[in-house]
Amino acid sequence: MTVPPNRPPTKSRLVLLVALLVVLAALPIVMTVFPDQTWVTNSRLFSFTQMFMLITLTSNWNLTGGFTGYVDFGHAVFFGIGAYGTGIFMNEAWPFWPSMLAGAVLAAVFALIIGYPTLRLKGPYFSIAMLGMFVAMREIVRVAKPLTGGGVGLTLPPYLNRPLFYYVTFFLAVLVVGIMWWIRRSEFGATLIAIREDEVGAEMRGINTTVNKIAAFVLAGFLTGIVGGLWAYQNTFIDPDGVFFPSRTVELVMMAMLGGLGTVAGPVVGATTIYWMRDVVWANLAEWHLFAEGMLMILIVLYAPQGIMGKLGDRSGTSLLRVWRNPLRRSALEEVPEDEVSV
Amino acid sequence: MSAVTPLLEGRGVTKRFGGLEAVKAVDFKVMPNEIVGLIGPNGSGKTTLFDCLSRVQAIDEGSVHFQGIDITRLKPHQVAHMGMSRTFQVIRVYRKLTLLENMQVSRQWRGENLWSQMRPSHKDVEERSRDLINFLRLEHLTNEPAGTLSGGQRRLLELGMALMPDPELILLDEAASGINPTLVEEIKDRIKTLNQEQGKAFLVVEHDMHFISDLCNRVYVLNYGEKLAEGTPAEVMENEAVIEAYFGS
Repeated sequence: MTVPPNRPPTKSRLVLLVALLVVLAALPIVMTVFPDQTWVTNSRLFSFTQMFMLITLTSNWNLTGGFTGYVDFGHAVFFGIGAYGTGIFMNEAWPFWPSMLAGAVLAAVFALIIGYPTLRLKGPYFSIAMLGMFVAMREIVRVAKPLTGGGVGLTLPPYLNRPLFYYVTFFLAVLVVGIMWWIRRSEFGATLIAIREDEVGAEMRGINTTVNKIAAFVLAGFLTGIVGGLWAYQNTFIDPDGVFFPSRTVELVMMAMLGGLGTVAGPVVGATTIYWMRDVVWANLAEWHLFAEGMLMILIVLYAPQGIMGKLGDRSGTSLLRVWRNPLRRSALEEVPEDEVSV
Repeated sequence: MSAVTPLLEGRGVTKRFGGLEAVKAVDFKVMPNEIVGLIGPNGSGKTTLFDCLSRVQAIDEGSVHFQGIDITRLKPHQVAHMGMSRTFQVIRVYRKLTLLENMQVSRQWRGENLWSQMRPSHKDVEERSRDLINFLRLEHLTNEPAGTLSGGQRRLLELGMALMPDPELILLDEAASGINPTLVEEIKDRIKTLNQEQGKAFLVVEHDMHFISDLCNRVYVLNYGEKLAEGTPAEVMENEAVIEAYFGS
């Protein structure tokens, strides 16, 4: 597709983005070179690693939930398959990288197998079917004791190298957001949005909606499987309740919605915002943090269904750098009427 | 009759919604290079027949053939690849995509694999999109999301999207409603040009009888899902049964 309306990266914004990436890439070096400073610590690198994983997961979820409009309440099943695939292969004495890749391939194959029947369902039926898949897979993992360790779980060989995990998750997040940016600007991305906007119309205009939906689903499953593998190795222990954590998908939905569904930058903004809000502020609210999350979700749906990126005027979802644009300088023409925003 | 294969042919097309028979064993033909009208009072089954012919709706009985090939069991995108495109009574445009993107995703997908879609549009696709947008006088809105257009502008965009894949047959479902009369005349001229110079065939549902009589070679009249009459526009408008169906006895 051609570059849509909001012509983005001006040179200054691009410089800002590159500078941000350079700073993030330099954090582990700062820790090594200046061991006495207290800001960049192992613990903080771990926080960033978690944040990068969430950015990646939310971007993956957004490919099917945001771009294609198939709100997936069971997306974490691919995370679980990636994690368990990696764990199982590593317990068979495979090295980490091939194990992680094999886990991601398993997740992609699973997406391919379940994609054909489930993506024929629309709206809440698809969402519930995926939730069912998630729950079913958790129980399968629990009962397949010889392979998965059942409820006891699996232990992976420990590898405590925070900077390595930091860099891997950082580059994975950059890569995935880059892939999403490319997809959004490609014909494939436009066909996904066409499917979201009007699937019957898209089919009538010659788009093989089944193939396009499944392709997006499989790609999202594969990339999420990679994150699952990384998470498992970093965690060194996996069990059904930890891996198939019920609210994991809900978190992704909330992050994508806060940032802006169907936009490239939305998942980055949403995941970053919620992660740090939770880490810094909600940690002080103890048991009330879930209540606060729920309230935030309600407020987003009621007052900002188009998310932060929508509020900032990223109408087509193609701009990675829109977040830096001064909202006060927007022209009135760039406003999207509230009733035009589909959630 | 000549041995020319009809471009589109419905044989005994029947569609039921529960106990309601919306289309009753209708036989229907559009020959190559022909502009055919489909008229009838509200609720007569015109759009349902359109949906059956273009495979949006599965039919209960009968068959549909396009260019001599049975398309009764094909999927809509396969029918579109064969060279049939359409507009809709209730406008279907992609509101979050720009006009240019709307046009581009409506292009000819015949023979395309998924991998080839992972790049921006071809230059010729963009040129054709811009040409059609200019023809529809929407060039000032090229990069605006379709959701910001008025109803008439969306109708025009949808017409452009139907023309985009360069189809053999174009089904227009009330394509002129909500559009200003000057532009309607231009649309008629464009349809005539496409028909006469490029041999495109059209099947047109329209309430505006002037539009139908100016354009169409033949007209079918539906009433209560049945074919009531068939003939030239002049013949149909003088048909007693048609007059009764529209105005009562």
